[in-house]
Amino acid sequence: MGDTESTERGPGGLAGRVRGITDFAREHPRVRRGLIAGPPTTFLVLFFALPILTMLVISFRAGDINGPFTLDNYTNFLTSDTYRTVLWRTLLVTVQVTAVVTVVGYALAYSIVRFSRRTTLLLLLVILPFWTSYIIRMYAWINILQSGGVLDSTLLLLNVIDQPIGVLYSQTAVLVGFTYVWLPLAVLPFYASLSNMDPDLIEAAKDLGAGPLKAFLTVTLPTTLDGVVTGVILVFIPTFGSFITPRLLGGTDNIMIGMVIENQFKSAFNYPFGAAIGIVISAVVVVLLVLGARVGAGNLQGSDGQ
Amino acid sequence: MTRNHVLGRRNVLKATAGAAAAGLAGCLGGGDGGDSRTPMDVTEWPPEDLEGNLNLWNWYDDWAEYAKEEFGNQFDVTVTNSGFSSPDQWYSRLQAGNEEMDNIAATTNWVERSIENDYLHELPVDIMPAWENITDRVKDVSSYQQDGKVYAIPEALVLYPLTYNDEHFDSAPSSWDVLWDESLEGQIMMWDNSTVSCQIAALYTGQDPVEPDDFGEIEEVLKQQKPLLRTYWGDYQQGMSLFVNEEVVAGPLTMGRTYTARFGEGAPVHYTAPEEGAMFTSDLFVIPKGAPNPMASLQFTNWGSQKKHAAKLFETMGYMPAVDIEDQLSKEDREFTNWPDSWNLIFQETLSDEVRSRFDEIWTAVKAA
Repeated sequence: MGDTESTERGPGGLAGRVRGITDFAREHPRVRRGLIAGPPTTFLVLFFALPILTMLVISFRAGDINGPFTLDNYTNFLTSDTYRTVLWRTLLVTVQVTAVVTVVGYALAYSIVRFSRRTTLLLLLVILPFWTSYIIRMYAWINILQSGGVLDSTLLLLNVIDQPIGVLYSQTAVLVGFTYVWLPLAVLPFYASLSNMDPDLIEAAKDLGAGPLKAFLTVTLPTTLDGVVTGVILVFIPTFGSFITPRLLGGTDNIMIGMVIENQFKSAFNYPFGAAIGIVISAVVVVLLVLGARVGAGNLQGSDGQ
Repeated sequence: MTRNHVLGRRNVLKATAGAAAAGLAGCLGGGDGGDSRTPMDVTEWPPEDLEGNLNLWNWYDDWAEYAKEEFGNQFDVTVTNSGFSSPDQWYSRLQAGNEEMDNIAATTNWVERSIENDYLHELPVDIMPAWENITDRVKDVSSYQQDGKVYAIPEALVLYPLTYNDEHFDSAPSSWDVLWDESLEGQIMMWDNSTVSCQIAALYTGQDPVEPDDFGEIEEVLKQQKPLLRTYWGDYQQGMSLFVNEEVVAGPLTMGRTYTARFGEGAPVHYTAPEEGAMFTSDLFVIPKGAPNPMASLQFTNWGSQKKHAAKLFETMGYMPAVDIEDQLSKEDREFTNWPDSWNLIFQETLSDEVRSRFDEIWTAVKAA
């Protein structure tokens, strides 16, 4: 027992060594910062920066990942009307999805924060779909939206329509699918920022003569802007690269750039071209998000920065 | 303070570097690779001292369930199966250095890519009894045999026929032109697959589907077809459901999914090879290098090619086995597997880089049109 204590707690024991490390770290701030930031930095370098760098290197290869250096992958992509059309359509769908999810998600989060006492239960329900596989959720929507499916049956029962409309394989179906899938990603940051807002600010705005809309635009929205930007980013990025939802729910006109990239790896076997498209759209998404966040923040802050 | 308590910067850095290196080594694997024997080490059948485990990667899920139990019980081997939906899922693991997969059901063109990159073991087919069961039609399609070496044993033939609703059509459509029939607008579909769709368009326009000479015409007819389509299907289940739900009456689907739709779902569907021809490929048993249980995998490859088990493959999945199993089938199934000699069946040879690239460009342009 005594030996154990001397081993665990004595000057040379485990506790002593731990204390030595903490003392050393306390006396050396740079080491302390390194110990704290080192593991996540190493993780990011290994599993984010290096893969991106590898993708960048491959994107300059001709035909094969070991092929000779070339710029053709980039010039082919950037000078092709077809790929520019696909990119533009992807952007349009992404903006539409982001806008719909933001409006619906913000209204939902606002309702949860302002009008409900069962916030935990409601938030649980919001994230409930994440417990099910993405593919299975898409197939559920196929059953709902297909001709004669759940939606048609319900509308027919209610006499809203007199024959099946079948919205599957359309732009509407893609929007519905995306909205359903990404809504939880937006609601959570919206909820976090709204729940941190002081509700007295809204009352103060109303006392000063602001109507509901003005109070929302001048108080609620600017106060929760960080959450809105986070939600927009969380929705915009995965939508831009999606390929499963438009493939399963979309019709013949719903091509997105993610589907083109997927094709390079699964069918065309042109990994370098797929990597080049990936690099380009990553850059496009980053630029768009930075611009969007700055413009959005600028508009909400006003010309004098208030 | 004692020396034990005082840690120099050098010691901290050394400890951190050591921990990082150890962690990295753990992340990167470095297993012992299991059994070091290779299939070609076996000179007499059967292979001896089978390992106790077998890790399958077989996308014939229902048959794999049967195989897990039957093979496992017969040879006292614990069998697992990882189903997959796309060959790139296992191929990327081969690229990363296989240490896990013992036996893969691999499609021909991916087998060729794997052989080119030295990912597969050669197989001792001369001493494998089941090799004799493989039909000549499949043996003739020998892209899995290179330089006198055999790297795979065919598991099934995969036909890409024209599937049709046999209540809508009085008889099987004789031409792919049914997919360009304006009277069927909204009731036909195409496969969201650049190779399959462009090859159908090549056949429709009278071109060689493996080496077409007029890519412009292929793109043009596919664009003409687009407004007539219900959709492009991208997932086998989705393609089958379109027939089962009777949303379409004609379109390309695999023979296996047609079989499941007809006999499993009761859908009024059948398939045919139009007079212009239909493409087919094969799925093959391969043993990847790095397989931890190569002897069990070799025994399984032989086992899967025995008539009884090949017949089970057809009954569960509907794909034509590479083994002659006619005497094992019901009359109904025999009729379904009957490929008349008059059918013009074209093996889906691996496309040249140029053709594959052009097909991809065409398909993207068609979908973006």
